[in-house]
Amino acid sequence: MKLTRENVIRWAPALVLLGLVVLFAAINPAFLSQRNLARIALASTPAMMVALGVTFIIVMGSIDLSMEGVVSLCAVLFCLLFLRLGGSLGAGAWLAIPAILLCGAFFGWLTGMVHVRLQIPSFMASLAMGFVGTGAAVLVTGGDIVRIEDDVFRALLTWRILGFPLMVYIAAALVLLAWFIQNHTTLGRNFYAVGGGEELAHASGVNVRRVRLAGFALAGVFYAIAAIFQVARLGQAESVTGANLMFVAITSVVVGGVALWGGIGGVLNAVVGVLIVNVIGNGMVVIGLPNYLQDGLLGVLVIIAVVLSTDRRLVSFAK
Amino acid sequence: MSTFIKDYIDREVMTRRKLLLAGAAGMATLAAPAIFGRGQARAALTDPAIAWSYRDRASAYWNAVVSGGEAFVESIGRSKSDMVNLISEGSSEKSLADIKAFLAKTGGNCAIACDPNDSPNARPVVEAVQAAGAYISTIWNKTDDLHPWDFGDNYVSHMTWSDEQPSEQTARILFEAMGGKGGVVHLGGIAANNPAVERLAGLQNALKDFPEIELLDAQPADWDTTKAAELMSSFLTRYGDRITGIHCAADNIAYGVIEALRAEGITDMPIVAYDGNPEAVKLVMDGQLLATVFTNPYWGGGISAALAYHAAIGTFKPSEEPQEHREFYGPTVLITQKDAAEFKAQYLDATPAYDWTNFWGPSNGQIQYR
Repeated sequence: MKLTRENVIRWAPALVLLGLVVLFAAINPAFLSQRNLARIALASTPAMMVALGVTFIIVMGSIDLSMEGVVSLCAVLFCLLFLRLGGSLGAGAWLAIPAILLCGAFFGWLTGMVHVRLQIPSFMASLAMGFVGTGAAVLVTGGDIVRIEDDVFRALLTWRILGFPLMVYIAAALVLLAWFIQNHTTLGRNFYAVGGGEELAHASGVNVRRVRLAGFALAGVFYAIAAIFQVARLGQAESVTGANLMFVAITSVVVGGVALWGGIGGVLNAVVGVLIVNVIGNGMVVIGLPNYLQDGLLGVLVIIAVVLSTDRRLVSFAK
Repeated sequence: MSTFIKDYIDREVMTRRKLLLAGAAGMATLAAPAIFGRGQARAALTDPAIAWSYRDRASAYWNAVVSGGEAFVESIGRSKSDMVNLISEGSSEKSLADIKAFLAKTGGNCAIACDPNDSPNARPVVEAVQAAGAYISTIWNKTDDLHPWDFGDNYVSHMTWSDEQPSEQTARILFEAMGGKGGVVHLGGIAANNPAVERLAGLQNALKDFPEIELLDAQPADWDTTKAAELMSSFLTRYGDRITGIHCAADNIAYGVIEALRAEGITDMPIVAYDGNPEAVKLVMDGQLLATVFTNPYWGGGISAALAYHAAIGTFKPSEEPQEHREFYGPTVLITQKDAAEFKAQYLDATPAYDWTNFWGPSNGQIQYR
């Protein structure tokens, strides 16, 4: 592989990640311990699912900001349904999983409809639908917390294989699935066609509206998976379960090198991006950085990561 | 002249005219209360509208506050929906704008309970309420130089909670469970929040009496369960087995801590929390938490609305009450493993029926400024 500008940019996010790991490990070797890597992996899983979902949307050149509301709503509905169906994975409550994936898909499709049919920019449509999701979550819970105590379901967190919790492996499998959808399905290729040039895609016979709707529905499924992971990790759901996921997911995707203007980057960039953000979050505490510096440093590191990992020469101006 | 420019000029002229008219109307409304005399216009209102102004209902805490407000409204024979929810969404501007809109809509015939969202916002809110001749009770946020007694009857009361003492008590319970030695970490609220500062200060007070206990680290977890879980696992990497006790600034934080420990197979760590949410009380009963503190937000929400309402209809005259009835601390109840079951039976299994005219019974003394 030649050391060309394109290659450097392609590998920049991975190099940033590597650099951060080396930096933190040099200051505190415990950072590289297997247990800490498992902690970072665990913290990354829900955000990873959200980032995968939103990557499809961003590749299409749209944006989806509904994740916090969708995750909260799906998490709350999942818990309520799980308890209604017996409260134990063995006793039929597993049905809650496919049900909630459908629910996520439906909500995403609805966001897509608002965006495509009513011709509202995806930014506004998804933000509004996110509020609808949070509101609905408040409505069904009345502001209360719903807890799941089932040990079988919680095995996602507590059962470890080679030191990593079960849900980390499932997340890895889902990353592969997302990568497969992106690279080996017509839908995945159509996301790039739409993101690269909507008029061109339309002229070539791509049903742009249908692609957008499918994209939002697919993202909704991944948000629902994130919700299930959040519940598995925390054992509870409430109407703020999805809080902070918007910042983490969008930052991760951009830091990983997915361009917000569409058509560039993909699933693997999102994975690296999520790991960068979580490595920074974990590493700052592990090296003992004073807390009043952490937020500021996170901002600076994000800017540096974006500068290094996106090819800004491709755009005439940033908006 | 192109039609575009002509239309534009026409439109601008129209807007300016409307603006002038609207301005004149605004001046008239401002002048109207002055004609009838400010503040003293109506000593008592009849059938005032009732509103609660707060952040949002998504958290268990505010949900309890608002439920208390609704219980009060029902106690005077109205329906729940008669209490107007003014939701600030964490914005002081929206808080003030909503209250002004409510004052305008009701013509000042209203009683408002309010968390002004941040301290500086309390003054404009209270001044707007006084100018309209309405009545208000505030909780949590106000500046130290703002006092209800400087506003006659219209600013009925302010209630807040002092968290330092109860937090010190939970820290002592924690240290005793740790055998008086070892390392403790504190997971706090948003760093600049007053309750977060007080709850950490309480821990530090208790540390003075336990020289063999070391405070390893104290960092903000922003009142957030997810963030608390992540922070706790980072603490485990940094301090490992040196952590023998955990002091949490809130129940929400403790939930995240317990789950971060569960992921590592740690189940016997001494942990204390704060807020007395129903789930936390159950965790105290199960032995997963040593203690939490209940601040009775339900009562706080109900009594704030009740104070404003009863002052408005003239049940009592705020200016004739002593200062400790105008600015006071809300109740705090320490819940430990000994009394958790009793607490649950009394407060959670059945919602206590409060006497909403016993305004100051459960309160905790006049607010002290340092």
